[in-house]
Amino acid sequence: MATKKKATRKNIPTKKVKPENRASKNTSPTIDNPYISPSFWKAMWIICSISLLLELFVHRHKHFEELESSILGNMSNWFGFYGMFGLLACSSCILLAKGLSVFLKEKEDYYDDTP
Amino acid sequence: MTLLDNIPPAFLLIIGAFILLILPSSARKIGAIALAGFGFYAISQLSEGSRVLPEFLGFDLTLLRVDSTSKAFGYIFTLSAFGALVFSWNEQSRLQNTAALAYVGSALGVVFAGDMISWYLFWEMMAISSTFLVLARNTKTSRLAAQRYILVHLAGGLVLLTGILLAIHESGSIDFTKENIYQNATAKNFILIGILINAAAVPFSSWLPDAYPESTVFGGIILSAYTTKTAVYTLVRGFPGEEILIPIGCIMAVYGIIYALLENDMRRILAYSIINQVGFMVCGVGIGTKLAIAGVVAHAFCHIIYKALLWMSAGAVLYRTGKSKCTELGGLYKTMPITMVLGTIGALAISGVPFTSGFISKTLITASAENQNLIWAWLALEVASAGVFLHAGIKFPFFVFFNVDRGLRPKEAPRAMVAGMGLMAFFCIYLGVNPNHLYSILPNNEILSEKNSFYEIYVYHFDHVVTMFQMLIFSGLTFFLFLPMLRRTPTISIDFDWFYRKGAKLFYWSMDKAFNSINKAAEHIIIKTFLPTLVQFIVVAPATITVFLLRPIWQESLDADKNSIKKREQELIAKFSSGTFPVAYSAVFVLIFIGILIFLGRSSS
Repeated sequence: MATKKKATRKNIPTKKVKPENRASKNTSPTIDNPYISPSFWKAMWIICSISLLLELFVHRHKHFEELESSILGNMSNWFGFYGMFGLLACSSCILLAKGLSVFLKEKEDYYDDTP
Repeated sequence: MTLLDNIPPAFLLIIGAFILLILPSSARKIGAIALAGFGFYAISQLSEGSRVLPEFLGFDLTLLRVDSTSKAFGYIFTLSAFGALVFSWNEQSRLQNTAALAYVGSALGVVFAGDMISWYLFWEMMAISSTFLVLARNTKTSRLAAQRYILVHLAGGLVLLTGILLAIHESGSIDFTKENIYQNATAKNFILIGILINAAAVPFSSWLPDAYPESTVFGGIILSAYTTKTAVYTLVRGFPGEEILIPIGCIMAVYGIIYALLENDMRRILAYSIINQVGFMVCGVGIGTKLAIAGVVAHAFCHIIYKALLWMSAGAVLYRTGKSKCTELGGLYKTMPITMVLGTIGALAISGVPFTSGFISKTLITASAENQNLIWAWLALEVASAGVFLHAGIKFPFFVFFNVDRGLRPKEAPRAMVAGMGLMAFFCIYLGVNPNHLYSILPNNEILSEKNSFYEIYVYHFDHVVTMFQMLIFSGLTFFLFLPMLRRTPTISIDFDWFYRKGAKLFYWSMDKAFNSINKAAEHIIIKTFLPTLVQFIVVAPATITVFLLRPIWQESLDADKNSIKKREQELIAKFSSGTFPVAYSAVFVLIFIGILIFLGRSSS
């Protein structure tokens, strides 16, 4: 994890950010277009692979041993389950939030005329 | 120390809070910090057992019920107050100092209350004192938010009071125990709803993200810790193993994530993540096993620390920039690196990254769900764990400290703020690597005695560390993959408060329309139509009747001269409308009237 944070701090503030800074001054402050450097992406993929590789070398204690018939219970013991779970859970949360935003997002002055 | 052993810590802080009112600025600040520290010491000196105080309203109140659960909450409440007071050295005002200490004091009152009457009294004191922390921001929006906040809490308090009165009536005892609460189903339901309103359970959740982000920098840190956690404490006392709490907790955990993802205001993101974290605790109470209860207390303890740290780092940014919206912030790592690092430690701790406090507490709750084979609850909690990293672990620090540079160049946070954040960050990591220190003060800690060492958690169960790390890093990857979809917009999200905010307007409108249209119709019918007609009738009717009666006489006496009769009629009507009659006429009328009365009297007898 420490490596990952280091990567975040190291990569975002590099010189490559500067053109973005200049650009952002000229654009509307509501439009965000953050710059994520290629080296940050590289680091991210490497750490993800390491986390998967590490799983090969550890003995995993079984989850839900009593629930042999449960598909989900069995799946939780598969290789790479937690990584895929994180990916799926988070992308569904983001998509759900994005979908709900159609109904739920309102302008900041929405409640101005209410008590 | 027998004296300290018998003084409820609540009294120390509440009385101290009012004494501080009269002290000069520096003495007040030092006094407040010392009071929080002394409160911690006083709690450490309490011996286990219950102490009854002299009679009040005909009941024996138990202001001190001391056991490992109440002591654990007492420790963290005073510790967090100490950190927050140190942090806000530059900001505290007289009102805030007193309100905060009275609030912390009444929270301690709830925690050590062994009977339902003192529990309720301290519960309401919390609601009132905390409102001042929102009011202290002194803006129009904060005043309105405080108004809504106190109304929700007073309504919740009344629901709780109804339940408590029913429970006391049914059981005949005021003792705050699960047995007393469960004797009457209606009482139980009222009490549960009353507590869940304070726990910000869906759908009673919106008061929290509505009010907390409107408070002051200091107020936000203090508020983040007590109201919801005392609610969790009372659930631990009154409702362990109440199954309905499992789905409620899971819904809270997921709801918190979705709304935190939608939010633009950094402190509102943190407010929603409180609901998410309290969801874990509520679910843990619902599971109700010894491990789950220990996990709930551990998680409340760790949560208060890292959530205070997150609110502190957001508070430091607000203090320096005066801004709290993600669309107005960004690139602050350049000039506020220490705040960024300490805030990130809080963000990692809330995400449950190994070697931080969140990892050693959250896993107890998920493990208890797993042990009970509650696979859906376990799944929801794991989704929530992954989602926390998404919104609080990465989104908050990323959008505030990185993202795009908006040209903000504030100074680093003041030393006192750094000290407060440093203290909390220290505890986040210290508890993460020394789990046994936390586990030893938990209730049911005997079941953790074999699993509480660093070796046991990080070496023997290294596979858990790996899987947790894997889940979090992939969650982080998802954040960056979906970054274009997560772009902030200057918007707000509609929450359950819509019902009472827009509802209030609708209520006002419908009342206005209903009552004012009745009013208008009444005015039209009575004032404009009925009364003039009545007046007209009163004036015209006697004249017409008299003319009708006199006409035959005039016809005889005036030889039926139409003009002179008409003249007489007009004169008579004019006399009636002006009310001027010769005395003789009046005498004749009186005589006729008396004659009619006598006639009526005779005929009836």
